[in-house]
Amino acid sequence: MMTFDEFKKKAFDISAELGCEAAEVYFNDGETFSVNVLGGELDEYSVEHSFGLNLRVIYGGRAGYAYTEMLDDPRALVLRAVDNAKAVENDDVMPMQGKCEYRQIAKPECRASGLTPTEKIAYAEKLEKDLMAADPRVIRTMYCAIQTTKSTTRLHNTLGLEADNTEELSASILCPIMQQDGVVKDSFIVKTGNELFDTDAMIKEVVRKVADQFGASPVPSGEYSIIMQNEAMANMLAAFSPMFSADNAQKGMSLLAGREGETIAADCVTLMDDPFYKEYPRAFDAEGVPSVTKEVISKGVLTTLLHNLQTAAKAGTASTSNAGRGASGPVTVAPSNFYIVPGETDYDSLLGRMGSGVVITDVSGLHAGLNPVSGDFSLIAKGQLVEGGRVVRAVDQITVAGNFLTMMKNIAVVGSDLKFGMPGMSRFGSPSLLIEKLMVSGE
Amino acid sequence: MLDRSAVNAVLNEALKTGGDYSELFMQDSDFNNIRMVDGKVDSASYQRRVGAGVRVLKGTRCAYAYTADTSEAAIMETARAAAAAIEGVPEYSVRSFEVRKGAPGYEKKFADVTNDMRIELLRSGTAAARAYSGEITQVEANYLDADHRIMVANSNGVWAEDRRPRTRLIIETVAMNGTEAQTGYSAPGLGKGFEAYRELDPAAIGREAARIAVTMLHAPECPADSVPVVIESGFGGVILHEACVHSLEATSVGRGNSEFCGKLGQQIASPIVTAVDDGTLPGAWGSIAYDDEGTPSRRNVLIENGILKTYLVDLLGSRRMNGHPLTGSSRRQDYTFAPTSRMTNTFFAEGKDDPEEMIRSMGEGLYAANMGGGSVNPLTGEFNFAVLEAYWVRDGRILTPVRGATLIGKGSEVLMKIDRIANSGLALAPGMCGSASGSVPVNVGQPRIRVSEITVGGKGGKL
Repeated sequence: MMTFDEFKKKAFDISAELGCEAAEVYFNDGETFSVNVLGGELDEYSVEHSFGLNLRVIYGGRAGYAYTEMLDDPRALVLRAVDNAKAVENDDVMPMQGKCEYRQIAKPECRASGLTPTEKIAYAEKLEKDLMAADPRVIRTMYCAIQTTKSTTRLHNTLGLEADNTEELSASILCPIMQQDGVVKDSFIVKTGNELFDTDAMIKEVVRKVADQFGASPVPSGEYSIIMQNEAMANMLAAFSPMFSADNAQKGMSLLAGREGETIAADCVTLMDDPFYKEYPRAFDAEGVPSVTKEVISKGVLTTLLHNLQTAAKAGTASTSNAGRGASGPVTVAPSNFYIVPGETDYDSLLGRMGSGVVITDVSGLHAGLNPVSGDFSLIAKGQLVEGGRVVRAVDQITVAGNFLTMMKNIAVVGSDLKFGMPGMSRFGSPSLLIEKLMVSGE
Repeated sequence: MLDRSAVNAVLNEALKTGGDYSELFMQDSDFNNIRMVDGKVDSASYQRRVGAGVRVLKGTRCAYAYTADTSEAAIMETARAAAAAIEGVPEYSVRSFEVRKGAPGYEKKFADVTNDMRIELLRSGTAAARAYSGEITQVEANYLDADHRIMVANSNGVWAEDRRPRTRLIIETVAMNGTEAQTGYSAPGLGKGFEAYRELDPAAIGREAARIAVTMLHAPECPADSVPVVIESGFGGVILHEACVHSLEATSVGRGNSEFCGKLGQQIASPIVTAVDDGTLPGAWGSIAYDDEGTPSRRNVLIENGILKTYLVDLLGSRRMNGHPLTGSSRRQDYTFAPTSRMTNTFFAEGKDDPEEMIRSMGEGLYAANMGGGSVNPLTGEFNFAVLEAYWVRDGRILTPVRGATLIGKGSEVLMKIDRIANSGLALAPGMCGSASGSVPVNVGQPRIRVSEITVGGKGGKL
């Protein structure tokens, strides 16, 4: 096994020798620790060390990739990458970012990573104990876990780019199971950063999420005014975000292709992509392009799609710093912190504005019941029936259906309660939205 | 891969803090992936994934550690990291191994296949999709192959090696007219080497994906209603996978989180239902010779004539379930996951009914010709599926294709409402199943079936 530096140098030398115009390595090295406590006992305990190196070469103007978790044979890896570059047929220019300067960013504090394994287990045990004591209807937990990760990425290329980044992340996951009148319900909550130490708030929120489901039944099928709660909307925005990718647009797989400058949403809607957003800031994207903050939808008007270097070159514009890549695959397009800018209306006022209708608190099956090419969705949902501005009862076993672009135009009011969904390579957020109408099927 | 004495040392190191079971899993896998968009190769990538995972159990306490560094020293360190979670006095040690080796399952190795051979498949599939109709505006074709070499050894003296080739061709199409777009999809796959393409015809795959997109482009919106539903063979079996068998996995049952807990020997489905999970089918997408704990794969009859016969159980699940026998169902995506109970090839067995009669006698309802994906909450059994290609049936006759249909319900209820199972036409279709131990290849399957009532969601079209 070689070190990263030895392997990189050999790989770059061999690339040059084989006639590559450029070469780049994207190296990930991460350590994760996680524990799960169930019934006061340590249930799962996991210590992880992963690393891998993804090589990209430009050969004959085309990009080829090869990835390995065994740093033993740079020549074999370069040959694979060159072979893959030779297979590529599209004529897109494949730019690579050269050496550049980045803005200094303040990384959010991550207190959990300072804890010892024993302290993490003790904290998970306390979380579970407090959760069990929080409500007599909590019968057990499905999950009560703490996870901390430290990962380093190193993006180096033959144009002089050396962009290194180290991240520390922590998360806690709570999943209580509650019972009332013989009916069992569950939900879960994920908190990251220092929020995970706010035990009481986390427990209160997740217990309410479960308790709100008791007494649920469907509503009659029909069109309803809808409040799409912040978390449900953040998940839908995540699932429809491929529509905003310039790569999909250029390949005829987005209905937003060529529609920059057009009104595609209600004028109360502004959609941001902000890599510097305070909770999860980053100085550069997965190609090393310095981060750019932009409005993707500005007061209803589509201002830009999301670009990486390749799609930007094809469109004759600049990268919007939205290159993404998994550890082992090709460069793609991905949002950074992608969210609908909150308005001024608080949640109770939204209920009042709606009067009668259905609140959607949760949508599931997003990978199946939703199509980012057509914009159509038909999703199983949970929520609440609202009459006279007040919640009357819980609702379940319904589907909510519509088209994303139609829905964006039918947003009547944007709430003030911005919330982000699950942490990941991209983060998605939304406030709760009042939507004029969507189709609900139930009874 | 480590030799016998090194493996022995790792397993013993893992037991040093009092564990009663230790296990080493090692993997060396190659993947090739080519994507063609609009008839041109858009990207090609290769991946080699290598790593080792060590698991230690003491009762139902489970510690897992893994590393991408497969040197002996790093694996020993990994064993110590896992053992750190266990407290006690060492009582066990490894003596000797009984070695088990899976059949090679291979004729044409992917290492001997050139990119040109792979690209030829993509070209042929793309051309057939485009030729199907002028309304097809985009075709994306993906070729995947994977060659997994795995070994698992444990302190019970099991040493199993398996080689698992897989390949799949995925064709997605877009049909557009004006501002509307609909998509089609076809994606068969096999647990074989490149010889799989003697059976899989790329042109047929392309035509099928195009046919679905074009059919749906001209379809009105599906009505929202509760009606009888006929579900076609093949990927229709996703309903069994989601609505039932996820809730039979020890992952859910062992913790009391399934609606089927405590139901062994009881009627959980209509008496015409027999359901099977069979990991031994030669060359099938979901097959394995040994599971990821080294237990031989087998055919498990899950439900027979409506009676629940077995759960799907791994070692840890067995400990949580009063020693329920192992079912050869312990799987993991790769070394970055501890294994747990999963499905392999899961299907409804053929029944006794005439496939045509079940539509003729259904009155008004939905014929789901091609199912999309779905998901389930095993605790409550609530499921949802998308229907990729659907038709509305009136007076027992197909009236029109309809788009945007979703099926929702509860697993236990839908199983009891199955009122027809066709006497022929059992077919399997591949998918990737995501759960606690990552994403694993599985087949779902069935002959044509009918459910007397399911809630059909959609945008409320009027026909």
